[in-house]
Amino acid sequence: MLGIAIAVLFITGLLSHYQYEPWSWLPQPAKPVWGYRLTQGIHVAAGIATIPLLLFKLWSVYPNQFRFPPIRSIKHALERFSVAVLVSVALVQVITGFLNVLNWYPFPWYFVTVHRFLAYLLVGSVLLHVGVKLPDIAYGLSAKVAEADVLTEIPWNENPESHSNAGPLPDPPTPGISRRGMLTAAGAGVGVVVLTSVGQTITPLEPLGLLAPRQWTAGPQGVPVNRTAEQARVIAAATSPAWTLQVVGPKPYLLTLADLELRAVHEARFPINCVEGWSVGASWRGLSLLEVILQAGGTADSRIQLISLEQDWGFNHSFIEGPQLSAALLATHINGQRLNVDHGYPLRLISPNRAGVLNTKWLARIEVLS
Amino acid sequence: MKAWRIALAVAGIALAAFGVFRLVTQVPPSYLLILALWLIAALIIHDALLAPSVVGVGWLLRRYVPDRGRRYLQLALIMIAFVMVIAVPMIFLRGSQPAVKALLLRNYGVNLIMIIGVIAVISLILYVVRVARDRSAT
Repeated sequence: MLGIAIAVLFITGLLSHYQYEPWSWLPQPAKPVWGYRLTQGIHVAAGIATIPLLLFKLWSVYPNQFRFPPIRSIKHALERFSVAVLVSVALVQVITGFLNVLNWYPFPWYFVTVHRFLAYLLVGSVLLHVGVKLPDIAYGLSAKVAEADVLTEIPWNENPESHSNAGPLPDPPTPGISRRGMLTAAGAGVGVVVLTSVGQTITPLEPLGLLAPRQWTAGPQGVPVNRTAEQARVIAAATSPAWTLQVVGPKPYLLTLADLELRAVHEARFPINCVEGWSVGASWRGLSLLEVILQAGGTADSRIQLISLEQDWGFNHSFIEGPQLSAALLATHINGQRLNVDHGYPLRLISPNRAGVLNTKWLARIEVLS
Repeated sequence: MKAWRIALAVAGIALAAFGVFRLVTQVPPSYLLILALWLIAALIIHDALLAPSVVGVGWLLRRYVPDRGRRYLQLALIMIAFVMVIAVPMIFLRGSQPAVKALLLRNYGVNLIMIIGVIAVISLILYVVRVARDRSAT
């Protein structure tokens, strides 16, 4: 179960990475509109569920630490080292991932880079560990749940003392919870964790989200915000009546606030889906990005850069091309109301199947790059 | 099976080495040092503090709680531990973010107590059913 969770986390994690650094010959698709919402929702829900699951797994094999002698051979020493790497990376990976969801950064490094490279190290260690333990895994899966003796370091088929080679397990001296009971408890525990936290992604489950970090109903205009106008230090510039949008291309021009009012006639329903796992659908109204680009002399095949009023932040700009460009809106309204300043007033990008942070807010300039 | 084992091990070592290579080449050394401290601290905190205390609780249960009740107590405690691992950090971080982010606003302490209550009641019902069955069997 833990192995499956890590495989799912790795795949959804790589998909998320592709949102940020796509290859130019294979731009992000715009369909399905809920694509990133699904994969990143799964990534975060599975990651949260993995924390107790990992601790449970480590606890179940903890007695192995005290076998004697602690190191039997060079091969055994190497294996123990690889397990130590696996355990420490797995713990740091899930804990820092959860802290990122909670927006708490008690570490100095840039989360995204370290999370990605630690993932390679973690998955590599898992593959190595599975290779080492493959005979035990095959045995564990084929044996009866109640009888399997998986707590042995020597592969069971090479171990004459293994219970599995000597008939069924004897009753433990004082019968507590059975192995089956343990697995039931762990499964139910994970179920409770997922059910009470996934309301931040599956919006109808929000009332059940007793342990959900985000609460979309509490967000302004029905949608939470991740970067506030105050954090971005754009309140004065974004609310200025003299705001204009510079459109840079073969035929450059300016759009004023009054132009927006005239041209904001396109409507779409896209979810906004954050890399931190929360997501919520919203109705958007605004200008067609493609029309704005065509007017500037670009085409549907152009590569576009969108630049925010915000200074000095890595995500104060984004790039868009291909299907997402054709589907995108430059939004002025959200859920029937004029965007408030935290949602990106006066103008923001919104495109389907796109990581939330790449939907640049407080737009100042749009450049046709090719 | 041997070929599979070798293939998995080689692929695993290659992927792990790639991860380390990217870390070393892309992350400043001063951050790498702190990351190494985190990795070591995670091992020590888990192996020397967390796991022994859980084992200690298990020992106390075995020592003082009769067999039949212990199973249901263990069932409840495992589930409660799962929930607490997630809930406790959120209790501490509650209210740490601007309100418009709609993040960490809930009363996680009260919610945790509610969830623990539900788990306790269900486990108690299972236990009572078990006792009643044992009685009717004798």
